[in-house]
Amino acid sequence: MRRVPTGLILGVALVAAAFAIRGVSPAFTGWGLPDRAQDTITLALSVIIESAPFVFLGILLSTVVQVWLPHGFITRFLPRQPLLRRACISLLGMFFPVCECGNVPLARGFMVGGFTVPESITFLLAAPILNPITIITTHQAFGWGDGILLTRIVAGFVIANVIGWLFSRHPDPDSLLTRTFSASCALPDASGHDDGRAGGQHEGHSHTHGARAGRIERSVDLFTRETAVIMPALFIGSLIAALTQVFVPRSVLLALGSNPVWSVLAMIALAFIVAVCSNVDAFFVLSFGSTFMPGGIAAFLTFGAMIDVKMLALMRTTFTTRTLVQITALVALMSTAAGLLVNYVA
Amino acid sequence: MSPKDKLAGYLAERWRGIGLSLVIVVATIWLGATGQLGLYIHPRYFIFTTVMALLGLVFVVASFVFRTPAAGEPEPAGRGSAGRRTLALGGSALLLVVAAVTVLALPPATLTSATATQREVNSGGLDSEAAAEEAAALVGTGDYERLSVKEWVSLLAQSEDPALYADKTASITGFVLPDAADPDNVFYVARFVVTCCAVDAQPIGVAVYQPGWQASYDTDDWVQVTGTFVSNPSARSSDTLAVLPTSIEPVDQPSDPYVY
Repeated sequence: MRRVPTGLILGVALVAAAFAIRGVSPAFTGWGLPDRAQDTITLALSVIIESAPFVFLGILLSTVVQVWLPHGFITRFLPRQPLLRRACISLLGMFFPVCECGNVPLARGFMVGGFTVPESITFLLAAPILNPITIITTHQAFGWGDGILLTRIVAGFVIANVIGWLFSRHPDPDSLLTRTFSASCALPDASGHDDGRAGGQHEGHSHTHGARAGRIERSVDLFTRETAVIMPALFIGSLIAALTQVFVPRSVLLALGSNPVWSVLAMIALAFIVAVCSNVDAFFVLSFGSTFMPGGIAAFLTFGAMIDVKMLALMRTTFTTRTLVQITALVALMSTAAGLLVNYVA
Repeated sequence: MSPKDKLAGYLAERWRGIGLSLVIVVATIWLGATGQLGLYIHPRYFIFTTVMALLGLVFVVASFVFRTPAAGEPEPAGRGSAGRRTLALGGSALLLVVAAVTVLALPPATLTSATATQREVNSGGLDSEAAAEEAAALVGTGDYERLSVKEWVSLLAQSEDPALYADKTASITGFVLPDAADPDNVFYVARFVVTCCAVDAQPIGVAVYQPGWQASYDTDDWVQVTGTFVSNPSARSSDTLAVLPTSIEPVDQPSDPYVY
């Protein structure tokens, strides 16, 4: 590793060039794109602009966990008994209110930092719901009425823990991961910590200038590596979400709203294609409150926070397709059950 | 593995994330600086999004300063053939070029009627209680011409009694969206309601009865319509009430086309 001052010049020059292109190009108006193509771009771009800050935040938090906190800092406070441990992990979102897109890099960081695969799945599914921002916005939208908020919290907790438990029975949890990610977890220095090879030298005086410079360098390296994996997935996932929006009429789903069973299934389908952030999905779905039964809304808020088209693209960076199909099916089944329970019992 | 393949893999793995981050970070900061972020996201995110974009920019530049070797994503045994690496580089390059052109070169745009027709008008989007309260407050002032599309839509959702609207003049601005049921005679003065970002936009609109409107206006044109509410003369339209316009003026698209 060496520092090249030309790197700084090159970086600044590229940024300046990008600004120049952006500043000059509005002059070339009238590209004459068809409306649908134009809307696909607008929709995809809106998802990317909305999600990218959360992805950056997730990567930064993941960097803090991997590089700046002592190794095992978080796992140290967790109980050892697996069920209790996952239960506590499903509440970690209370301290990392990142939104679901940012949770993917964070969960990757947790896995590198010592979480098992089922534990990270539990975190990934629970954190978008069991976090303060989501709970506050859902309360603002619905209060405690119709049991929607309570169902969301309880279902989020139960689904994340049941799926975590199911995958903990898997004989070879590492096979749930993509080979690339699995291999990067197995690297001796993947955690980026000063333990292991370098640990002895740095123990106790890790705040020296050299160590800090090394950490900054590793933080930047981690940013590079994580964006290389997450950003293409975000762009492609957003494009798929936009294409679905432009070509699948939403009115088809809304027609199903007043039937106790169909309202639940339609809202799960809507949650899947609309890919709206769990922090604000309550406001979005509130506007459908008059069209849909409460169970449909509860199912939307439970399923949509965990799974949608964009999330699957992001999660595919880490988990195999087979694993994602299983997770999606399980979340869909349990969200449906929760929705039906609200419609028929509550 | 030849040095050329190694370089290809290095470029694909290391620079695609930085490249895509650079594109989106620059676009976000530029949109924020020129006041156009509202075309894509809800104003409540403006500050957070801009701050994170600036932070992202610092990391993007820093990644040019600390150019670590491509130790990052390791290739497990059995993978990483020359062909695969070249494919990865090609795919990454293609994605980067497409992203750069669409994000940096295309002019920013609002959603069009193509999306509105996919999402039934007035089927959702408004928190009707809150919007109705706001509208009621404005109605109380008696200055009906200050009511926007959003307020009229929420009032109409509460009551469609013609007597209630008989003496009231509406002056509303929005884009022209044909009524699917009776496109020849009725169009909506429409706006999109955005909760989070443009992807969740729901169209809302007030019906305007004007047979043969297509001769003067195109779909997606921005107009200011002034007129009074009457029982909708159209037999096919699903709206009970419609504005009978006294004037329809073309206007520029507002800088904040969405409502919240």
